[in-house]
Amino acid sequence: MQQLKNLKFVILIIVVLLILVIVRNSDQNLFKQDVKRAIEATQNNGNMLSHDQLSQLKGSWMVVNIGNIDLPDSVQVEHSMRIPFENLLNQTNRKILEEVDGDLILYSADVATASKAWVILNQMGFKNIYILNTGGNPEELKYKFQPDTTARLEQDSI
Amino acid sequence: MDARIKYSVLLVGIGIILAFLPFDAAQTFRLKSNQLLTRSASDDMYFSVDQVARAVNSEDSTIQIIDVRSAAQFKECNIPSSINIPFDDLQNPLWEATLNQKKVKNILYGNGDQTANYVWTIVTGLGYPNNYMMKGGLNEWFRTVMLSQYSGEKITPAENARFENRMNARKAFTQVNSLPDSLKTKFFNAKRLNQSKLDGGCN
Repeated sequence: MQQLKNLKFVILIIVVLLILVIVRNSDQNLFKQDVKRAIEATQNNGNMLSHDQLSQLKGSWMVVNIGNIDLPDSVQVEHSMRIPFENLLNQTNRKILEEVDGDLILYSADVATASKAWVILNQMGFKNIYILNTGGNPEELKYKFQPDTTARLEQDSI
Repeated sequence: MDARIKYSVLLVGIGIILAFLPFDAAQTFRLKSNQLLTRSASDDMYFSVDQVARAVNSEDSTIQIIDVRSAAQFKECNIPSSINIPFDDLQNPLWEATLNQKKVKNILYGNGDQTANYVWTIVTGLGYPNNYMMKGGLNEWFRTVMLSQYSGEKITPAENARFENRMNARKAFTQVNSLPDSLKTKFFNAKRLNQSKLDGGCN
């Protein structure tokens, strides 16, 4: 007992530190994932889901439209809902996303919005998130550069 | 009580707390999720293709253009004066000084919008300042700069300036990307040397 009394300041410091750590880590807005996880998951478009792949999904899933435009008519999905991107993480929507049983599929008419949302959710620790790809590969270069063999730089540039 | 015991208990306590921290020393986002979402939801991070073309033409030293495609794609063609930081290699410590700095504006581009948006969200999440994107990527560059044509009967001064800007950028793009690889390197080295002379550097 006497020993504990002697250690009371030390114990107090540890308890304060522990409380600070708990408070900081209980913050829902804190990212806890390694960036590497996001980079690896996007390799070979592993986080993209085509329309055909969507129709073949066997487990449960939910399509979340985070853009301003409706899902294309070609994509008929029963389980879809709209959450504006800027409200994606408010308390109600976060709860909805957390309660999704199975795959969470993000859609936006412009791939930019879905890509940003995907990284944010991935880094928040959400699993089984995909981006619905209704067109071709968004990162395909659609043009071929034709070198001009007659082009010359000014001699003093080189 | 012996001071040594007190310090020992303190250190062991702190050690236990550290051991139970939920994330390791890996790279994690510094921004909070709501902060990152707010930044992501605005359009302030975009530069238009015309703005990038203007920066290329004026050799704007306050702008660094960064190609986030693979090295092979970069080698095939790239925007003049851009450097290559492939998305797959983003965590290489070599790139941190380029991505995490306050001197110049980094403008990221890929073929489309997807990879640049991945990179932008990651570097912004990590707390790196001054990172932007070229909207539409290289596909938009080709469509706007490389293939643009004026077909009207009259041209306003503003349209004329825009068209000239695109033509100059197209010329620079074609010249640089038509060079053999060895000359490309030589060209960029010469350009860097000229730049350092203008900046008052020695080499």
